[in-house]
Amino acid sequence: MGHDALVRDELDQLTQDPLPRLESPGVDAPGEVVGRVLGTADATPLQFWTAVAPGSYLQLDDVVVTRRELPGGEPVTIAGVVTQVRARHEGAQFDSDVFAIADGTLPAQVQEAAEITTTRVDPETYVPPHPGAVVHRARGEARRQALHFDRMERPIPIGTGRDGVPVYLNADFLDGQRGAHVSISGISGVATKTSFATFLLYSVFNSPVLGGDRVNTKALIFNVKGEDLLFLDHPNARLDDRTRAAYAQLGLPAGPFGDVRVFAPPRAGDRSGSPDVSSRLSGVDTFYWTLAEFCAKRLLPYVFADADDERQQYTMVVHAVAAHLERHAQPAEGGGGVSIDGVAINGYDTLVDFVVDRLNDEETRHSWTGSAVGQGTVNAFARRLIASKKDLSRLIRGDLATRRPHEVNTAASAQVSVVDLHNLPDRAQRFVVGVTLKTEFERKEKAGTAKPLLFVVLDELNKYAPRDGSSPIKEVLLDIAERGRSLGVILVGAQQTASEVERRIVTNSAVRVVGRLDPAEASRPEYGFLPQAQRQRVLLAKPGTMFVNQPDIPVPLCVEFPFPAWATRPAEAGAAPAAVLRSITQSADPFAVVGAKSGLSDDEIPF
Amino acid sequence: MTVWFKDAWGPGYGTSFEVPDEPAPAGEGGAEVVVNVERELPVWEALSPAPGARTPDVVMLVDGVRRIDGGMWSREPDGASHRALAVSYAAGVVRCDLRRGVADLVDSEVRRGLFTSSPTATDLVAGQVRYEVHRVGSPDPAKLPRAIQAPLTALEVHVSDRAGDDAGLLVLDGPLRSRRHLRNAVGYTKTQQESYLPAELIPVVTDLAPGQRTPVFRRGTRWASYSWYLRLPGPRGAPWSGIVRVECSTEVGDQAAIELADVSAVTLPRFASTPYKDARAPQNLVPIGGLERRLRALLGDPRLLDRALSLATRSPAPVTA
Repeated sequence: MGHDALVRDELDQLTQDPLPRLESPGVDAPGEVVGRVLGTADATPLQFWTAVAPGSYLQLDDVVVTRRELPGGEPVTIAGVVTQVRARHEGAQFDSDVFAIADGTLPAQVQEAAEITTTRVDPETYVPPHPGAVVHRARGEARRQALHFDRMERPIPIGTGRDGVPVYLNADFLDGQRGAHVSISGISGVATKTSFATFLLYSVFNSPVLGGDRVNTKALIFNVKGEDLLFLDHPNARLDDRTRAAYAQLGLPAGPFGDVRVFAPPRAGDRSGSPDVSSRLSGVDTFYWTLAEFCAKRLLPYVFADADDERQQYTMVVHAVAAHLERHAQPAEGGGGVSIDGVAINGYDTLVDFVVDRLNDEETRHSWTGSAVGQGTVNAFARRLIASKKDLSRLIRGDLATRRPHEVNTAASAQVSVVDLHNLPDRAQRFVVGVTLKTEFERKEKAGTAKPLLFVVLDELNKYAPRDGSSPIKEVLLDIAERGRSLGVILVGAQQTASEVERRIVTNSAVRVVGRLDPAEASRPEYGFLPQAQRQRVLLAKPGTMFVNQPDIPVPLCVEFPFPAWATRPAEAGAAPAAVLRSITQSADPFAVVGAKSGLSDDEIPF
Repeated sequence: MTVWFKDAWGPGYGTSFEVPDEPAPAGEGGAEVVVNVERELPVWEALSPAPGARTPDVVMLVDGVRRIDGGMWSREPDGASHRALAVSYAAGVVRCDLRRGVADLVDSEVRRGLFTSSPTATDLVAGQVRYEVHRVGSPDPAKLPRAIQAPLTALEVHVSDRAGDDAGLLVLDGPLRSRRHLRNAVGYTKTQQESYLPAELIPVVTDLAPGQRTPVFRRGTRWASYSWYLRLPGPRGAPWSGIVRVECSTEVGDQAAIELADVSAVTLPRFASTPYKDARAPQNLVPIGGLERRLRALLGDPRLLDRALSLATRSPAPVTA
C-alpha cells in the first residue's frame, strides 16, 4: 500500500503535464492551394472530386479543406481525405491517341483529379462545396480539425499518416469511457498485427493521456508464435536515428517496455518445472496449475475447450466430474497434489487414470456422473480425457511445491505480463488462455472497478472465439467483449479473418484495425467500414501500414507505425534490463526449494 | 433600340446554305502559273523528299473554329427586319515539340460576334457573354456566314503573331493570305476546289505516291505564292484522295521555298490522321483535329449559349386581359 501511495504521488506530478501538443498551432489559413472542386462530376456534401492544379499533386490519404459561403450564414468549412486519385488525358478520344500525344502530335492535357471523402463539415450544414471552390491542403490546425483531433481530449499517438504527421486514437474509445476493444485483422506475417498491438500498448503506457492510471494499467499478452514477444523489455539493437526521430515525432521515447514479466509453461518431462523457452534464458517464470487448484476451481471444462466438444453429449459428464472433483478432492499436505477417496494423487496422468477407473467401475460410476448417463457417453468422455494427458500433464502438476509462485496474476505481476504459449499443443493453449482469462476476468469482477485497466492481447482470436459453436473460452471472451468495457478489461484481439470470429466480439470493438488482407476476405461485410478504394489498398498494404477506423472519424486513416524500439527476436535484443539480470539469482524461491519434497532430503543443501 | 427575336429553329436549320470551308481568294481565277521554279517542264515529275530533309524539332500549327450559336431577326424602329447570326469563334496555336514528345496548346483566343446587316444593332449581352456587333453591308442573309471568315482569319493572324518564331515549320490552316511575313510559315489547304496546274500536269499530282510531292510552282499576281501538292499516307481511293496543297510566301525566294517544300514533305505525312478517328482523314492533321476539339470546348456549351440567347431576347410576357 505504501508503495502504491508513493507511485501515486509520482503520478500526480505526471498528470500535471499538459497533454501532448498535437502539432504546432496552425495559422488561420490552411495550407497551400492544390486545386479546385470540379463540376463535371457531382459534388455532394459527403464526397466530391477535386481537379488538381498544374504543378500540384494530391496522394491518397492527403487531408484537404475547402469552404462554402452561405447566404446570410457563416461560411461552411468542408474537410476531407483523398480516397482516390486519377489522371487522364483530356482531349484524347481513343485509346490509341496516347501514342499521338506522347509523340507530340496531338495536343492533350494531363489532368489529375482526386476524390475527397468528407470527414468534417463545420458548422454542420450539409451543403455540397461549389464547383470551382479553391481546395487547400490542410496543414496544422486545419488538419487537426479535419481529422477531429482537436476534439480528442486524450489523443494517443498511433503512428504517422502518409503525410508524415502524427495520427491519433481517441483514448475515450479505448479505455471504456465511450467504447473499448480493438479488433486487428490481416494476413499472418505481412500484416504486423502483433507489432501494432504491442505498439499501441507502448503508446498507451508512454503517453500521458491515461494520467495517474497509467502506472497501474496492466497488459496481458499471449505469445502464440515463436518467441517474438519474449523480449519486450530488451532494447532493439537495430534501432537507428530515423526510428528514434519517428518516436520523438509522436512524443514517445524510443525504448523497450519498462516492466515486463514473462511466463512460460514448464518444460515437458522436467520434474523441476523449469520454463520451456529456448532463446530467453533469464527472467522467465514458470506457470502451471496444481492439482488442488484444478479440482477446487473446476478447471476441467477448459480441458474440453474445443468448439466441437460442446456439441457432444459428454459435456454433462464433464460438468458432473468437475463438480465431483471439487467436492471430494482434498489438497494433500505440502505439495500440490490431492487425495480423493483416500487415494493420493500427485500428477495429472494419475488423476486421469483414477477418474477413468472410477467411471468404468459400475459401483462408483453413478456417484461421479449421475444416473442418467449411458456407458457410451462415459466412454466418449474417458477417451478424450485420456487423450488430454499428453498435452496437459506438464501444466497441471501435483509434484511441485504449492508455495512456489506459479500463477499468472496480472494484479501482482509487472505492467506487462507475457504468457508464452508457442511451445504448447493446441489443447493446452486453449486451456491456458481459457483459464487465465477466466481468472483475470473474475478478479476484475470481484474488484468491481474499471480502473486500473487490463489490456488483453490475444492473437488467433478466430481459434478461441469462432463464429460457430460455443466453448468455455468463447463464453469468457464474449463476456469480456460485452461487459469488459465497464469492468476495465480491454480486449485487443487479432485474427487473420474477422469474418471467422464471433460477430458479437467484432461488433463490440470500437477500434478496428486492418493490415494487409486476403482479397477474398477484404470483400466480406465485416470490412464494410473500408471505402472501396481502401478495400483495394489493403491488398497491397505493406508491413507497418494499418488502416485504423475509430468511431470519431468517418473514414479509416492510413497509419504507418514506427519500427519496434524493443527487440522482437533474440538477434535484435540489446543488453538485458537490470531487473532481468537480478532475477537470475533470485528466480528460485528459497522457501519453495526447501519445502519441496521432490528428491531433496532435509540434509542436503538446497541452493 | 433594336429588338431581337431568336429563331426557334436551331442554327443548323436556320441557315440552309453551305458555308464554303475555304473560299477561293478573290481575283485569282485564271491567274498566271509559273511551273519551272524547281523543275523545267519536260521533266516535271513526282519528287521524294531530299535525303537531307529532316523534320524540325518544333512544329506549330494554327487553326480556327467557328460555331453559329443562334440565328436571330431584328425589329427595327422603322418596322424593317434584319437577319443576324450570333457566332462564337476561336483560334489557337499548337506547339508540337517532337523532340520532347509534347504537344501543347500554347495560345488560344475566343471571341463572339453578332453578324448582322441591321444598321441600329448594338452589342448583345446574353448571360455572361457579350456578342460584339459586326455590321455587314449586304442585307442578303445568305452572305452572313461568309462575313464570319474575315474576323476569324484576323484572329488566326493575331494568335500566329503571338506564337513566337522558334518553330521550324509553322502550318497555317488555309491559304496564307496576309500572313506571309511569318517565318517558316506554310499555308495548308485540305480541299482542292480548283486545280492550280495546267491540265497536262494534273497526272503528276494524281500519280503521287504517299509522301511524294510535286515540284514547287509559283502562281498568282496579287497574293502570289509558291505552291506544291503533296500526298499524305492513307488508303488509295479517288485520284485526289489524300492530296493537299501547301503554299508559302514568294518573299522567301526559290531556294528557301524548295527547302520548305522538302521539310513539309517529311513532316506533314507524320501528322496525317486516320479515317476512323477523323471524318476528314488524312488531310485534317492530328494536331489540327486536337486543336479544333480543344477550341470547340473553349467556345462553351452550345445548349447553354442557346438558352442564354433565348433569355436575352425574351419578349415580355403578353398580359392577358
